[in-house]
Amino acid sequence: MIYFIIRRLILTVFLLLLVSAITFAIFFLVPRLAGQTAYQLAAQYVGKTPTPSEILAVEHKLGLNDPLYLQYGRFVKGIIFGVHYNNGPDVSYCPFPCFGYSFRNQQPVWPQLISDAPVTLSLAIGGAILWLIGGVSIGVLSALRRGSFFDRLSMGIALAGVSLPVFFTGLISLELFSYKWAIFPNVHYVGITSNPVQWARNLVLPWVTLAFLYAALYARLTRAGMLETMGEDYIRTARAKGLPERKVIIKHGLRAALTPIVTIFGLDLGLLLGGAILTETTFSFPGLGQFTILAIQNQDLPEIMGVVMIAAFFIVVANMIVDILYAVVDPRVRF
Amino acid sequence: MRRRRIFAATAVAAAGALLISACSSSSGSSSSSSNNNTTPGAVAFNAGISAVVNPSTHKGGTLIFDNSSTPDSFDPGNTYYAWVLNFDRLFVMPMFTFKSCPGACGEQLVPDLATDMGTVSDNGLTWTFHIQSDVKYEDGTVATAQDVKYGIERTYDRTVAANGPTYYQALLTDPKYPGPYKDKSPAGLTAIDTPNATTLVFHLVAPFPDLPDVLAFPSSAPVPQAKDTGANYQLHPVSTGPYMFKNYTLNKQLTLVPNPQWNPATDPNAKQLPSQIIVNLNVSQPDIDNRLIHGDIQVDSAGTGLAAAGRAQVLASPTLKANADDPVNGFARFIYLNTKVAPMNNLHCREAVEYAANKVTMQTAWGGPLAGGQIGSTIMPPNIQGYKSFDYYNALSQSTGDMTDAKKQLQLCGQPNGFSTSMAYRSDRPTETAAVTALQASLATAGIKVTLKGFPAGSYYTDFAGAPAYMHSHNIGMAAGGWGADWPDGFGFLDSLVAGNTISSTGNSNIAEENNPVINNLFTQSSKVTGAARTALWSQIDEQAMKDAVILPMVYQKVVLYRPSNLTNVYVQAFYGMYNYAVMGVSS
Repeated sequence: MIYFIIRRLILTVFLLLLVSAITFAIFFLVPRLAGQTAYQLAAQYVGKTPTPSEILAVEHKLGLNDPLYLQYGRFVKGIIFGVHYNNGPDVSYCPFPCFGYSFRNQQPVWPQLISDAPVTLSLAIGGAILWLIGGVSIGVLSALRRGSFFDRLSMGIALAGVSLPVFFTGLISLELFSYKWAIFPNVHYVGITSNPVQWARNLVLPWVTLAFLYAALYARLTRAGMLETMGEDYIRTARAKGLPERKVIIKHGLRAALTPIVTIFGLDLGLLLGGAILTETTFSFPGLGQFTILAIQNQDLPEIMGVVMIAAFFIVVANMIVDILYAVVDPRVRF
Repeated sequence: MRRRRIFAATAVAAAGALLISACSSSSGSSSSSSNNNTTPGAVAFNAGISAVVNPSTHKGGTLIFDNSSTPDSFDPGNTYYAWVLNFDRLFVMPMFTFKSCPGACGEQLVPDLATDMGTVSDNGLTWTFHIQSDVKYEDGTVATAQDVKYGIERTYDRTVAANGPTYYQALLTDPKYPGPYKDKSPAGLTAIDTPNATTLVFHLVAPFPDLPDVLAFPSSAPVPQAKDTGANYQLHPVSTGPYMFKNYTLNKQLTLVPNPQWNPATDPNAKQLPSQIIVNLNVSQPDIDNRLIHGDIQVDSAGTGLAAAGRAQVLASPTLKANADDPVNGFARFIYLNTKVAPMNNLHCREAVEYAANKVTMQTAWGGPLAGGQIGSTIMPPNIQGYKSFDYYNALSQSTGDMTDAKKQLQLCGQPNGFSTSMAYRSDRPTETAAVTALQASLATAGIKVTLKGFPAGSYYTDFAGAPAYMHSHNIGMAAGGWGADWPDGFGFLDSLVAGNTISSTGNSNIAEENNPVINNLFTQSSKVTGAARTALWSQIDEQAMKDAVILPMVYQKVVLYRPSNLTNVYVQAFYGMYNYAVMGVSS
């Protein structure tokens, strides 16, 4: 098992390096191939009516005049060893893991990512707990009461949940619960350390909005899995052996039906941790999703690189955890 | 110029014939701030354009601003966004500012840190200013003339302060000065002398009567060299204004608290009423509008007005509408007609476009008469000093297009059946896209076929529309644009648009490439005269440029601003075209 984990960790590092190389190529190499010069790129970060010498100075400061392999090497080196950058009056040091220096804000990227991450973590983890519990429970109950009013109602709601985009359900929930009835007035992010009660109160609507989308999907998946599993011979055997129905459902039915749920949960959570763009934008939460939008709007390449790397990290790590869990469940995966 | 740079703010902006009304003296301490000359406005639609609404001297409370985007920088030497120029007055004192009062009075430039409007030498090349001797920073030390000079010096290093205007480099001697971080000589910027702690002497390369207007940018606020943190100065600029930074999380939230060292007697155009000011950044626009309407926040700091849904809600309700203002804010939307690209290099072809364009459909595309703006027939909008109304192409009398005259002009330009050309626009701006699409449709009825060429806003001026070589090589004869003056006179509005010497190979704002000696001479004259004689020149330039048909005006933009009932001392400051952020209070 340890070898398996070590192997997976090495693969994770390799994958992240690959992602960084591909991302760097997309944002730095491809424009060059399309004819963009370092001078033109630098001109985007010099403000209004710059002189050629001012553009050259910025090009030099940002290192855009160096060969691309050097720029990429500097980026990777910065992640491992940190980076010194010129502040104007002095030189500052951005320690490991420095994801570069924002072209637009003139601030190191990593502290900004770290400052935004708790918002996204709060949103994603809380939402994930809600949708996992809600979605799986509804899915199981629907499967067990197939064809009933509850089944049809819950699957109808699930269909709506899957179909309605977050920016719609989010705005509706804000309109109803924040403005019309003021149950959750003036929703805005409050840090858990500054006020845990306000943190939770302000997150309820985003959690529910997020959970509504994902729970719907999980309910449908769980229902389908349960229906298939509950028709298996070994379920009939378990019942024939006289096992209590609850044990049959939970230990034999649900356990088998959960395998694909665990897989997709890892992917969804990993993806969300990289930035719940729509939810954060709808509720104006300053997380990684909003950071991503702003980085793209500002064409701030180091910030885009940084957020892509963070998103890739979460996805790869979530997949690694899923793989490890699989290995625990099914030893054949280790080989 | 600066407003062209407000990416998120572009969809709106407004301009306006602001009613002249009594001015607030805004003098003295906030607790005793007299409104002797103020006409308190009743709560009514557009009341905030001409009078102070909810006048109050109440101290305390938290004033909350939301913004759907982020500032370019809170470093006073590194900003060009209109709302930041307005907001900066809460924590810095530039040399000059615009008088805090509603109506046209708010376009009046007055001394802020300076003691008077300065004196200029006979040849116009040397300006001498004196500053107040008792203005203190938040740490209690006194701001000096050397600090003002240092603040200006910082703006020369574009690797640290890239966002601000570049007037100093263009106007002052020593244009190659590299900034204080690279230049360690004791003299520093030789274009500015500081013979003592309260005197500054500026040396210009050519006479420039508007120098005090340039010094109204926050970059003229003093910066103590010992406290300069370069690129990090945006995180905590040292305050000389009524408020100071308590904490700022970059691009998320700023909290200001009263500056205990601020003396209201030295800063009569600002007040210190709320006990705390919070600015939330990157808030979604629908959320901002809802919070405003429900009184959860007090100001949408972008000053670009309500979005469509919020606007509809406010305008449909008489109660809510009474809390709204619809000013024209000095920003104009238009189409450049290029004088170098055939067949638009023919005056009559350009005039055909002027006549044929349906101004009503373009106005509708911009958002209609209230949220889009009023139809324009001149380059300068009405709130610019020197504005004169005229209508050479029947934009006002035949707003849906004058096809008879358009056909005549097509005959004269040798294209009786019309012609083909291309038009550049910013494809990532929905309203601009809608406006050029409407124009394309109306010109088609006159036989003028326009191919739309969309470009990203971020590189529109650097690589495409603002690069004459690109326009020529791709036969692009028209380009969408917009403009707001850096200061409210004709020079501030017209110079970059139609002066021949402003044509540049990249970042060009004179996209029509207008280089008419008559206009150029008028600009030259403008540096030699002052007062009414100078003001009269602006309308002459405007008329000549319109006779040359180098710009097709679309709208003088308007925005629907909302003021919650708990916001006090609120009125539109004419120059900014948004509420005056320096004097606001909150009632609860």
